[in-house]
Amino acid sequence: MIDAIAAMSSVLLDPYLLFLILVTTVVGVVVGVLPGLGATTGAALLLPFTLTMPPVHAITVLSTIYVSATFAGSITAILINTPGTSAAAATTFDGYPLAQRGEAGRALGVAVVSSTVGGVFSIIVLCFAAPLLALVAYEFRPPEYFALTLFGLSMLATISAGGAIRNLIGGVFGVWLATIGAEKTTGIERFMFGNYDLYEGIGFVPVFIGLFAMSELLVQSKSAQRVANAFGLKAVKLPTKEDYKRIWRTVLRSCGIGTFIGVLPAEGATVASMIGYAEARRWSKKKEEFGKGSIEGIAGAEAANNAATGGAMVPTMVLGIPGSGTTAVILVGLMVHGLRPGPYLFTEQVDTVYQIFGAMLLANFAFMFLGLYAAKVFARISLVPLPILWPIVFALSTIGAYALNSAMMDVWIVLVFGVVGFVARRFGFAVAPIAVGLILGEMVERNLQNSLKMYEGDWWMIPAQPLAAVFLVLAVLGLLAPLISARISKWRGRNS
Amino acid sequence: MKNLALPATISIFSIIIIYLALDIETSPPMIVGDSMQPRAFPIFLMVLNLVLAALLMWQGFGEEPKKRAPLNKTTIGSLVLFPLFYVLTTYIDILIGLAVVLFLMSFFWGERRIWVAAAVGLITPAALFFLFNYVLSIRFPRGMITNIFYG
Repeated sequence: MIDAIAAMSSVLLDPYLLFLILVTTVVGVVVGVLPGLGATTGAALLLPFTLTMPPVHAITVLSTIYVSATFAGSITAILINTPGTSAAAATTFDGYPLAQRGEAGRALGVAVVSSTVGGVFSIIVLCFAAPLLALVAYEFRPPEYFALTLFGLSMLATISAGGAIRNLIGGVFGVWLATIGAEKTTGIERFMFGNYDLYEGIGFVPVFIGLFAMSELLVQSKSAQRVANAFGLKAVKLPTKEDYKRIWRTVLRSCGIGTFIGVLPAEGATVASMIGYAEARRWSKKKEEFGKGSIEGIAGAEAANNAATGGAMVPTMVLGIPGSGTTAVILVGLMVHGLRPGPYLFTEQVDTVYQIFGAMLLANFAFMFLGLYAAKVFARISLVPLPILWPIVFALSTIGAYALNSAMMDVWIVLVFGVVGFVARRFGFAVAPIAVGLILGEMVERNLQNSLKMYEGDWWMIPAQPLAAVFLVLAVLGLLAPLISARISKWRGRNS
Repeated sequence: MKNLALPATISIFSIIIIYLALDIETSPPMIVGDSMQPRAFPIFLMVLNLVLAALLMWQGFGEEPKKRAPLNKTTIGSLVLFPLFYVLTTYIDILIGLAVVLFLMSFFWGERRIWVAAAVGLITPAALFFLFNYVLSIRFPRGMITNIFYG
């Protein structure tokens, strides 16, 4: 434990890293306030810029973008009723009504404090939970990993966007994408059509940039002539004693909810903030204020969405299974920089891991500082005209993808997956399941093959392993979760 | 009827992939051992997709088809810029490709001040070129302009 604290504290002694955290927090907040960009797109766009950095610095950049953009979505949610990120959608319910009453400063103050508490809480949980989970994960063999990845994929059914069946179709499509290229054991070519640029498979980064950034560009083109709302804000105010008395229970509850939701594979800050908001309303003594400007509503949503960031890093680093869309990009970042996500990361590169945790902790304080003192400036950035912003995103996406391997093929992949993502979204599919499927695809197939080799082709031996059986049962529950929750809602509706 | 179009498209895609997968070479048993042939996993995935498409179809029965707004000019214009970027980059130069596409994109998106659109088209690729070349030491692909620069 002392070693862990020492490694985390060592971040403070690295001036370059501190500088990077500050700069990246600014970039993250900018990305967060710009509608349409968000943490995942921001991280995907910045990944190529981290190539020349040492691993700790690179992952710090990506994780700082994650925490700061997740918070920053609330700035525009409160001031102009436009959530900068989907995770801040619930913040608009009460943030904007408060701003309309001339209390934007108070709303932002509550959002900043709740987000920071949520973020710090989840990092502390991450520091304790990740090594414990790693201890359990040491025992995992191919059958357990296979069942675990199936569980991760099944959780796609429960994420809010898209709908269960569409999300699963997206996930299966992503897994299929992972089969393109030479098969790892036999070297036999699959779906390459004679194109040897695809021999190593489709790169994660260009696909991610295409799915998240380029498809968003096409989606945003529908509202290209949008005129941003004006806003009124004098200064951000820290919550008063009365405010703290009203929100502390909500904040603590949302910290727990957000961290738990974050730990679940494929779930992220958006789901966490919605549940955090709903629970804040359920337990509130002043339910009638919700939707009209309740500070408990803001605290519930904001503490939960930032708590999900640390939670989502647990399965990402310990199991190599992304906890959210943005952690999928961070996972790719870990691989690009030669860090193998999994339990061995906690023995082989324990200092690196805790330095990353330490940097994430600092990032939470950095965005608190920026949120309190510069929210007004950042809110103005959301007024940047779209005809200037999105062409720049196009340039960053294409050049960023090229930079990774100096291969034009990656640029074409960005364009193709931009169109694929746009078409998918137009037909009600979310793009995150495709990204998660692509990451887990290779893992599913490899572990299934190894399991079959271990048990001489006997499929039934996989569920016969106790831990694998637990994950398979959880996977089935994950698949049935939407049905169960629909039944419960129906039953509740009938009873009320 | 429109509710059937999406599941039908997914089904056709899955069947095509299954057909292509059947063409994948088989590996000698001594390499594969007790595991699967390389074609088995994609086929299994696409069969799963067929089942999911059937469920999607079943879910869509009796529901009013969702009306989608037709694509507007800006979206169509942006989509057209993708192949234009490919052609310009492949046959002329990536910097020229970027400059033209960024200028046109800015214009399509509603920027009517030509000098602003031109500034976006010129400054952005130039800034990225110098950033990647000098700070990140990443060389751009050769083309008309980059050849002059790299010699």
